[in-house]
Amino acid sequence: MIKEFLKHLFPRVVLKSNLKITYTFCLGGLAFTSFLLLVASGLPMLFYYQPSPEKAFDSILFLESSVWGGRYLRSLHRLASHCFLVLLFLHTLRVILTGAYRKPRELNWLIGFTLLGLAIFAAYTGYLLPMDQLSLWATQTGMELVNSIFVGGTALGILVPDGVGQPMSLLRFYILHVVFAPASLLLLSFLHFYRIRKDKGALPYL
Amino acid sequence: MARIDRARRKLIGAVVSLLAGVFFLGRFLRPTVRQKKTLLTAERAAIPNHGALVYKEARVAVIREAEEIYALDLVCTHLGCTVSVTPRGLVCPCHGSVFDRRGNVLRGPADRPLARHAVELRGEQVVVLL
Repeated sequence: MIKEFLKHLFPRVVLKSNLKITYTFCLGGLAFTSFLLLVASGLPMLFYYQPSPEKAFDSILFLESSVWGGRYLRSLHRLASHCFLVLLFLHTLRVILTGAYRKPRELNWLIGFTLLGLAIFAAYTGYLLPMDQLSLWATQTGMELVNSIFVGGTALGILVPDGVGQPMSLLRFYILHVVFAPASLLLLSFLHFYRIRKDKGALPYL
Repeated sequence: MARIDRARRKLIGAVVSLLAGVFFLGRFLRPTVRQKKTLLTAERAAIPNHGALVYKEARVAVIREAEEIYALDLVCTHLGCTVSVTPRGLVCPCHGSVFDRRGNVLRGPADRPLARHAVELRGEQVVVLL
């Protein structure tokens, strides 16, 4: 099964008409590229970040002031995350406007939508990590929003058991941001690409 | 069009990028850690209460106010002369700036208080760090 999965990641034949850039603008591919950039710039920062409320902000300052390329890497991570979300949004818009969510691609639409949700979740959890005033209060606001919806209270109990910005919550956001979100994004992305092959490419819809 | 074998070119490219990657990662992983240097060491008992030990060469005064011990930089914040420590306060001989015992400006032309050095207590020793 794995062998077949890997085989389908790389197409045997590519139809020239499927490569027409003006149809998709390669928005999904660009979004995945920015995801790879996020991984590449995020992994080195793991060497310096300290996920505890007292040390988090200081470790960011240290990374920016005393580490060669630290400020560049952090800026890259931040910029790439913006690009990731914008590109995903445009990609979703393209899929809606071209009607690509219709039969036979319903499953891939669902996978894609989950990916969009995961991307927003990853961005949201990453936002708290610097632990400056902006991130703390933004997360506080977001958590109040979650609290107001159905079963939001339960989700809140899992995400922030001891309140926003407290040790356990920060650790959970950290683990969700560096392990859970990237791993599921990567896995679902591969499934997403696999489904494109299975559905015989991007064209034609119309 | 003839097919050109680019295996060697690709290998060289891969090796070069690998080496560059290792080099950059190595630089990234070695942060510049600022280590504080010891400027001078004094006996705690040698500092008179409400008095000061003056180190002319190091241009530092170690001052004790009851339990509080701090080190004032004796470089005048006006133009960098060495201020003299007097019972009334710290006076700059060059342009007459006067500072109090805590280093605050009493009279100009200096407009900023004297700088302080970090002080560490190690047993009976008082260590002034730079």
